[in-house]
Amino acid sequence: MLLAACAWERAEALTTLRLHADRIAFFYDRFLVEADGHVVVHTSDGMEIRGDAFSMDLKLNRFIVAGNVQVLAPGTQLSGAAFSDFLNFRRVYFIPILAEPDRWTFLNGDFAHPAKGREMPGDTFDFPDIGHRPDLVSRAAVIGANSYVRFERVTSNFFGLPVPLPAFYVSFAPTPALARNSLSGANLDLTYQFAGNANSISAVHLRYDATNHAYASIEQHLAGAHDYAVFSVNPLTAPAKFWNLMTGDTLSTRFQVDTFTQLYTYQYGLAEPLAAAQYTYITASEALPRWSIQGFANLTNFNLLGPGAHAVFANGQTVGELNHPSQVQITASSFQERIFGSPFYEQYFFGTGFNHDSYGTGLQQYGGVTYTTIWNQLVGFSVSLPELTFGNRNSAYDRYVLSGSFTKERQWYSVPHHVDVTTLVSTLSRQITRTVGVYAGYSIVNTGDYYLHGGYSISSPIINGVYAPGFEAFRGVATQRTFSFATNYTPSPEFTLSLLYRHHDDFPEPVPGLFPLPHLNPLGQYIYPSFLGQPPNDLTGDLHVRLAPHISVDIARTDYFGFATLKWSPTFIVQVSQ
Amino acid sequence: MKRTAALVPLLALIALTLMSAGAQAIRVTGQILAYQDGYVFFTTGDGFRVAPAIVLKDAKTGGATALRPGPRLWALATFDASGSVVELDLSLTALAPQGNFALVKRYAIALSSPFPNPDLAQAPAIPGRPNMVFTGRQVVVVFEVRVPPTTPLEAIVYITTDASGWNPQAIPMQRIDALHFKVIERLVSGTIFHYLYTRGSFASEERSEGGLEEHPRTALVSDADSQVYSNIVYRWADEAMPGQVIQPNVFPTPYNPAPFPNLPPGIHTPHP
Repeated sequence: MLLAACAWERAEALTTLRLHADRIAFFYDRFLVEADGHVVVHTSDGMEIRGDAFSMDLKLNRFIVAGNVQVLAPGTQLSGAAFSDFLNFRRVYFIPILAEPDRWTFLNGDFAHPAKGREMPGDTFDFPDIGHRPDLVSRAAVIGANSYVRFERVTSNFFGLPVPLPAFYVSFAPTPALARNSLSGANLDLTYQFAGNANSISAVHLRYDATNHAYASIEQHLAGAHDYAVFSVNPLTAPAKFWNLMTGDTLSTRFQVDTFTQLYTYQYGLAEPLAAAQYTYITASEALPRWSIQGFANLTNFNLLGPGAHAVFANGQTVGELNHPSQVQITASSFQERIFGSPFYEQYFFGTGFNHDSYGTGLQQYGGVTYTTIWNQLVGFSVSLPELTFGNRNSAYDRYVLSGSFTKERQWYSVPHHVDVTTLVSTLSRQITRTVGVYAGYSIVNTGDYYLHGGYSISSPIINGVYAPGFEAFRGVATQRTFSFATNYTPSPEFTLSLLYRHHDDFPEPVPGLFPLPHLNPLGQYIYPSFLGQPPNDLTGDLHVRLAPHISVDIARTDYFGFATLKWSPTFIVQVSQ
Repeated sequence: MKRTAALVPLLALIALTLMSAGAQAIRVTGQILAYQDGYVFFTTGDGFRVAPAIVLKDAKTGGATALRPGPRLWALATFDASGSVVELDLSLTALAPQGNFALVKRYAIALSSPFPNPDLAQAPAIPGRPNMVFTGRQVVVVFEVRVPPTTPLEAIVYITTDASGWNPQAIPMQRIDALHFKVIERLVSGTIFHYLYTRGSFASEERSEGGLEEHPRTALVSDADSQVYSNIVYRWADEAMPGQVIQPNVFPTPYNPAPFPNLPPGIHTPHP
């Protein structure tokens, strides 16, 4: 137990086990590998262990071989009843059968000098108690200690149906370096990792989303101790393809760089693209004592093929403009600091940067000048109240928690104007019973665009033939006020139902059909969750059900209470997670 | 006197018979680790001599069995007075506990004398650390997280974990107020659970206070009735600057230095 308690704290060497047996079973929910019949294990440090049964807890990083055990270790050959290797601790526990059985412990890989009679942990030779069918069976496996397992000649249990596969790879590394994915969200993603080792994974994704419907994608992951790279094509089987490359490098304990590059092509198969666009951002982060600095660069080419190339995106947007804007921003932020022992925290930030686009009409035309580069300076602060409890503090179900934050920022531009954004969010929450919690919230977002001279002029209340009285008073200041009331019902960890009602009281007030609605992301959600012109009332229901230890489904939909022709959100948002 | 003397061997014989009968009644259930070379080994690591005429039975029916003793099988072992196993009642599934291995420990065969293992020395109690006992029972584990004030009110927060191959949307959390999310999970005791918080993708994973990649947290599920892990997220990876959220998977790239991205087309643009 003490060993287990400290297991993750110990350094471990990467050991690889090659396992063959008549039947190898994998239990995904507990990361157990169980094998029976003619078990042969080869370890990367030169041992061969044979026996009748094999059991390994991948997370605890220890394995057992039991029954008619033969061990071939460097310089020694042993026979016995059972062999147990605690890889993290470099302890091998062995029951040899000489004239009679004995109990030996090999310390730190020294098979020449067993500690005979040394007391063993109580669970050294325990088999796990498993009461359900395995997720897959195979006849061969490669296990990278604390890292991955790759099965060969696999029969997978897919919702009760046996599916033969040439190989199946599962990563269980304690860090996500190999798992970062560069794909967009999807309603359903079935991932088949067909190859991999401690530093790479090759995967095919079978996906479904509201925009592309059913399609396939491929993804290749690479990772080292301090860096990673992920490449993907998503979708692979549709004309509109996104080629993604994501990289990250931790250059020191205080400095790291991440990049994301996306190449969009509209092409049938791998034929010459009809359209191509590219987007890259680079983020560099430097940690300082009580502060951090983040540099951000963004380069976009909306048309890589030249004049005449164009295509329509699945979400209805078009590319083809020759604009190639770029952006650089450097921002310094303080840590969240407690204010004089009070329940409030403060944070400050400031920065500078520029946007640039030299093509066509540039970034902005103002006063007869075309601005192709706009510099900016930014300063702001936030004060937050993570938690203020009142009511009956002795009862979990009779107390209230007040929580909120206030953020104010100002950004000056080289075009003579500045933008102030003030955000206030506050909520009052209470857990009513063990299964039911509620909160009420109120938020205000005030955005003001103030020009040194002139600015937004008076508009006619009739815009595009639509009567919009709010615009008579609109001078570049918008305010979004939102009242929220939400409740969560969680009768068990496997089932959650959430309801969220919001009432928006915005200026300029929403007018049906006047404001362009934001585009949809692949899941069918608006890319901006909050926007001018949003319907004044909405009610969102969200049901989350865990169907199996590794499969859950989330279903959500929003009702807009009949805002003109808008009744329901465009689609049900259904997401299946593995 | 002679009569009393004659009774002594008789009483001794009766006592021996009773002791022998008591010893024969020692029956213990356990899981077999190995069965070979005239010994049966249980998962306790103890090996016992097997009587030459051992009887194998089906533990459920008490009748004959086609099962052969081997690793993973469960057995009800019957010991004779000499400590040999004379009967094994076999089962593929776990048997109801019966007897105690402490009673037969003296029959276990080991050439070497046992000596203490310093690795197993009792660790000093650490205040606030859960009791490290793992029986594999299901334990309710609550994860609570405080998110930074820059988190959008519409954001969904997820837990990504090595238990799900680091799927960035593995466990959706419920918002409980402006800055807190919570989820209740049922995990098996003994589980070592590495996890991070995300807003749905690795582009929006949590970052350390200094803005760098956060190392995964570790939760070790003990046998306590329930456990609570409370964490703080200081930053999100996609906070390139306050107030701006990068959305790389959407083309054309949201790019507009003006603060109102979806004003109606008929509105006059700013002018002097």
